[in-house]
Amino acid sequence: MRKRWLVALGIGVLTVALGAYAASGKSSGKSSQSGGTFRIGTSSRIDSLNPYVAFNQDAYSTFEYIYPLLIQYDKANSKFVADFATSWKTSNGGKTWTFKTRKGAKWTDGKPLTARDAAWSINTDIKYAASGAANAAGLIAHIKNAKAPNATTLVVNYAAPAGNVLGQFQQFAILPEHIWAKHTGHKGADLKTFANSAPVVGAGPFKLTKFKKDEIALFQRNNSFYGEKPKADAFGLRMFSNSDALVSALKAHEIDAIEDVPATAIKTLRSGFNVRSVPGVDQTDFIINSNPKKSKHRELLNLKVKEALAHAIDREQIVKVVFLGTAKPASSIVPPATGKWFNKNLKPETFDLALANKLLDQAGFKKGPGGIRVAGGHKMSYQVITPTDVPSTNRTFQILQPDFKKIGIQLSQRALDSTAAFEAISGPNNKYLNFDLAMWDWVALIDPDFMLSVVTCAQYGGWSDSGYCDKRYDRMYSQQQLTPNQDKRRALVWKMQAYLYNKRPYIWLAAQDHVWAVAKNWGGLVASPQGPFNSISKLSLTSVHQQ
Amino acid sequence: MSVAVREPGAVIESEPIRSRRGIVWETIRRRPSAAIGSAILLVIVLGALLAPWLAPYDLHKQVGPVFGHPSWSHPLGLDDGGIDMVTLLMWGARVSLVVGFAATFVSMVIGGTIGVAAGYFGGKTDTTLMRITDYFLVIPDVPLMIVVAAIWGPSLFHIIIVIGILLWTSTARVIRAQVKSVRERVYVKRARSLGASHTRIVFRHVLPQVAPLLIANTVLTIAVAIFDETALAFLGLGDPSRISLGKMIENAFQRAAISTGAWWAIVPPGLLVAVIILSCSLVGGALEDALNPRLRVAHLSARSFRLRPLVGRGREAV
Amino acid sequence: MRGADYVIKRVAFALLTVFIAVTINFALFRLAPGTAVTNLARVPHATPETRLALKREFGLDKSKLDQYFIYLKQLSRGNLGISFENSQPVRDNLKTALINTIPMVLLGTLFAIVIGTITGVLAAWRRGTAAEGASVTTALAFYSMPTHWLGLMLVILFAGTLPTGGMTNDFLINPSFWQHFKDLVAHITLPALTLGLVLFGEYTLIVRSAMLETLSEDYILTARAKGLRPAAILRMHALRNAMLPIATLIALSLGYIVAGAILVETVFSWPGIGRAVYDAVLARDYPMLQGAFLVLTVSVVFFNLVADLLYFKLDPRITE
Repeated sequence: MRKRWLVALGIGVLTVALGAYAASGKSSGKSSQSGGTFRIGTSSRIDSLNPYVAFNQDAYSTFEYIYPLLIQYDKANSKFVADFATSWKTSNGGKTWTFKTRKGAKWTDGKPLTARDAAWSINTDIKYAASGAANAAGLIAHIKNAKAPNATTLVVNYAAPAGNVLGQFQQFAILPEHIWAKHTGHKGADLKTFANSAPVVGAGPFKLTKFKKDEIALFQRNNSFYGEKPKADAFGLRMFSNSDALVSALKAHEIDAIEDVPATAIKTLRSGFNVRSVPGVDQTDFIINSNPKKSKHRELLNLKVKEALAHAIDREQIVKVVFLGTAKPASSIVPPATGKWFNKNLKPETFDLALANKLLDQAGFKKGPGGIRVAGGHKMSYQVITPTDVPSTNRTFQILQPDFKKIGIQLSQRALDSTAAFEAISGPNNKYLNFDLAMWDWVALIDPDFMLSVVTCAQYGGWSDSGYCDKRYDRMYSQQQLTPNQDKRRALVWKMQAYLYNKRPYIWLAAQDHVWAVAKNWGGLVASPQGPFNSISKLSLTSVHQQ
Repeated sequence: MSVAVREPGAVIESEPIRSRRGIVWETIRRRPSAAIGSAILLVIVLGALLAPWLAPYDLHKQVGPVFGHPSWSHPLGLDDGGIDMVTLLMWGARVSLVVGFAATFVSMVIGGTIGVAAGYFGGKTDTTLMRITDYFLVIPDVPLMIVVAAIWGPSLFHIIIVIGILLWTSTARVIRAQVKSVRERVYVKRARSLGASHTRIVFRHVLPQVAPLLIANTVLTIAVAIFDETALAFLGLGDPSRISLGKMIENAFQRAAISTGAWWAIVPPGLLVAVIILSCSLVGGALEDALNPRLRVAHLSARSFRLRPLVGRGREAV
Repeated sequence: MRGADYVIKRVAFALLTVFIAVTINFALFRLAPGTAVTNLARVPHATPETRLALKREFGLDKSKLDQYFIYLKQLSRGNLGISFENSQPVRDNLKTALINTIPMVLLGTLFAIVIGTITGVLAAWRRGTAAEGASVTTALAFYSMPTHWLGLMLVILFAGTLPTGGMTNDFLINPSFWQHFKDLVAHITLPALTLGLVLFGEYTLIVRSAMLETLSEDYILTARAKGLRPAAILRMHALRNAMLPIATLIALSLGYIVAGAILVETVFSWPGIGRAVYDAVLARDYPMLQGAFLVLTVSVVFFNLVADLLYFKLDPRITE
C-alpha cells in the first residue's frame, strides 16, 4: 500500500515538475535578431490564399502585404500615394492612364517584376471577368485593355473617363504572370482552383512563408522589396477560435497584439496594454429582401413598411449591450469612417414604436389575433436568417425581437453557417425568391465604390445579399464610376446614399469601432478604420518596431 | 446460474428480476445515494417548472451592466447581456430539462420497441434488429449530431430528434436481454399455449417486468441527453432563440467571459448541469443495482459499472 | 475450432459494418443543402460554364449513383478524395489531424488510469469508511461534468501559468529540440488533463470492484492469515484481476474518444480530428467529412473488435 502511494506521489511530483518546467520555459517569441517578430492574434480568418476565391478581410490584408499594388493610401488614409507605381498621369480626355512603375523590382523567386505583370493581370481579369476572375470584375470595369510598352510603363485604356481609377487600383493585387499564366484553363475557371499555397511567390514588403489554415500565417521580411523595407524581421497572424483564448494569449505574452479586441475584454486589457479605438468601416445590418420579382410577402417591398421597421430598432441599446459602447448608430451604406464620402445629412431613424405602429396602421396592415399584423391574408411573421460566424447577430436579434412584437411583427431566428445562410438568401439559383429578412455585416473600404456595388443588379449571386435590383440605381452607379471630377463624384455618391436610405434594402444598425491592443514594447502601427493589419496600405506593418 | 457469452456489451442473463411492485420507490427510499439524487432532481425540476413565477427578474430585460458583478440583488451576477444569472439558470434549466426528457422519450420509444421486438420474437428479427443496433453503436456520435444539426438547422425540435435518434441503442440492448429472460418464464409460456395474442402477452406480462429496468435506463439516458444538449449548444448548434444551460456556457465562452474575469457567467450553468447529471446517475445507478443485484459483484464485465451506457452513447462525447 | 469461429465471425461482422457505414455516410452528406461549390461559384451572373467547370473539378456533375461507385473505387485505392477547402488530399489532412489528436488522447487516458487506480484502490481498501464514499463521489462528480465546461474551469485556473490554446507556439522560430518538446508538453497538459478528469471515474469504479471481489475471496483471506503484506496482496491478485476490464475499457474508449475529443479540441483550439470534423461541417467539405467519418467509424469498429478478442482470449470464464 505504501509503495503504491509512493508511486502515485512520484508521478504527481513528476507531472508538476514537468508542468512547471514547461511553463517557465514559455517562449517570449523574441528572436535574437534586432527586428523581432511581431505576433498578431485575431479571431477572424484567412479563408483562402487565392485572390479570386477569398472573401474574408484578413485574406485581402494578406494580399496587400505580399503582392505589389499600384497605389496605396497614405498614413492619414485620405490621399493616394505610390506603391508599385511611382507616378501617374491621365491623357486622352481621361480615357488613358499612364503609370510609371518601379525599376529593377523582383518577385520573391528572383524573376523580374515589371509593368508587364501588371498589364497581364489586368488583361487576364478582363478576359475572364465573367468566369474565373469575377471577384475582381468590379475593379477593372470600363477598362478596354492594358499595355506595357516597356518594363516600367503601364498604359491603361478606358472606354470612358473613369472617376475612381486610383481607388480601384488600390485594391488591385498584381499577380506574377509566370506563376498564374498556367492556371487560366477551362476558360479561366482554373483561376479559382489554384491553391496558391505558401511559400507564395509575391513581391510585397513581406513574403508569406508559412500558412496553416485557421492556425497561423507567418510573414518574413522580403529584403528585395522595391519600397521601404520593414523594420521588423517578420510578423505572424495567429488565428484563434475563441475570444477567451485570444485575450489570454495576449495577457500571457504569447502574442504581441490583438487585431480585433472583443468589446468585453477592453477594460481588462487597458491596464497592461495600449488599446486603441478608431471608428471602423465595419457595419452590422438588417437586410430586407428587396428583389422586385419576389413572389411571397410582397408587403416587405412597401417602403412605408420598411420605414416602420427601421423605427422599431433601438440602436442605442444595441450599441450599449452588444458592442459595449464601441460602436455608433449607423445610417448609410457608406460608413462615416470614410470621411468625405459619407453623407452626413443622413441620420439613423429614431427609435419610436408609436411612429412605427402608426406607419403600419396607415399602410393598412391591421393587427390581428395575438397582436400580430395581417398582410395579404397572412400573418406578418418572418424568419430572420443569421450567419453563425457574426456573433453579434444573436444578441442583436434578442433586442429586436421583443420590440418588433410591440409593433405587431413576429420574428423568428434561423441561424445558419455562412455558406448555408448565403444559399438561403440567394436561393433558388441566385433568384433571391425565398428569404424575407436577414442580418449580416459589411467591412467597407475607404473608397465607396465597392460598397455601392453590392446592391447592383450585376451582383446577383456575387456580393448581393439583399436581392436589390434597380435600373435607376445601376445608372447612378455607372455614372459615379465615370465621373473623374472628385467633387462631382462625391455629390453623386451622396445622392446615391440618400436614394438607398429611402429604398432601404438595408437598415443599418451599428458602425463598429475598430479596437486593437498592442503590447507596450511595440510601436509604430498606423491607425486605420480597418485596424492595424489592413488592405488599405502597406505602411502599418512596415513601420512597426520594438521600442 | 447460466451465463451468456461475455461479449462486451452483453448483459448478463442472471436470475429473474425481482419484480415487486414499487421496487423503484423502495430503492429510492432505502439507498442514500438514490434518495439524495432524487431529492436534488426534484428540487431542480420544480424550480425549472415554476420558473415563470419564481424567477426574480425578467428574462429579456437588461438589469445592469454587461457581466455585472455578483451583488446582494444579483447573487450570481449578470451575463453578457446584462440579464440576471439566477433568472437565466431557472429558465435555462427548463429548456435543458425539456430537451433531456423529450430526447429520452424519443429514444425510449425507439429503443423500447426494438428491444421488446428483438427479445420477444427472437430468431431472425432479433438478429436483424441487433445488427441495426450495432451499426448505430459504431457511428461516431457527436460528429453525426453536428452534421445533422448543422444541416437541418438548429431548432429545439431538431436537436431533440437528433439526440433521441442516437441514444436508443443501450435501451434496446438492456430491454432485449430482460425480455428474453422474461419470455422464458412459465406463466408466459402458459399464456401462449392458451392462445393469448402477442400484443396481450407483451403488454400484460412482459412490459410490467421490464418497466423498472426501463425506468433505470431512462434516468441514465436523461443524463446523457442533457450532456449532449450542452455539447451541441457549445458548438454553436443549439437553438439560438432559446436560452438553455448549454447555451449559457456558449454565450459566456463567445464573449470572452473568462479573460474578463466574469467567472459567474460560466461556472454556475456548468455546475448545474453537472449536478443534474450526477443526480440522474446516482438514481439510475442505484436502481440498476437494485434490480440486478448480481451485476454488482458478479464477474466484471465492462458494462457493469457504467454510469452512462459505456458501449454506446455518452462516452464518445468527451 | 470454436475460438476460430468466433474470431472469424467478429471480423466478418466488423467488415460488414464498415461497408454499411461507408454507404450510409456517402448518402448522408449528399443530402445536405449547401455545397462548397456555392462558395467558389459566388460570381455575378455565374455562367453555366463556370459552375459546370467547378462541378466537374469536384466530381459533382454526375448522378448520385455514379458518384457512389466512383467513391467506392477510389476508396479501394486508398484515395479519400480532395478536400474542397484547401484542395489537399483528404488522406493527408486526416493524417495530420489524427497525429495531433492521438497523443493528447493517450495522455488523457493515462491520466485517467492513474487517477482512477489510485482512487479505486483507496475506495476498496477503505471500504465502508468515509474515504470510500468521498472517493466514489468525487469520481462520479467529475464524470458528470460537461467536458467543455471542465476544460473552461481549467482555463480559469491555469490561464497565465499554462498555455490555454493551440498545440504549439507557432512563433517559436527554429527552436531546439528541447525547447520544442517543452513547448509541446506545456500545450498538451491542459487538454489531456481535462480528458483525464472526465474519464477517470469509470476506472475508479472498475478498480474498486475488482479489488472488492478479489479481496473477498478465500485465498486472499488465506494470504492475510499467512501474514502477507497488503500491498503484496493488492499487487499480485486484485489489480491483476482488474486488468481485463481495464484493458477492455481502454480499447472501447479509444475507439470513441478519438472521435469525441471534439469538445476538448474546441475549448483548447487543438487542431485535431474533432476540430477537423467540425470545420468540415461548416465548410460543407464533403470529401473531408466522408473521410473523417470513415476513419472514425473504422477506429470504433476496430477497437470494438480488439475489445471483443481481448475478452475472448483473456476471460477464462466464458462459456457458450
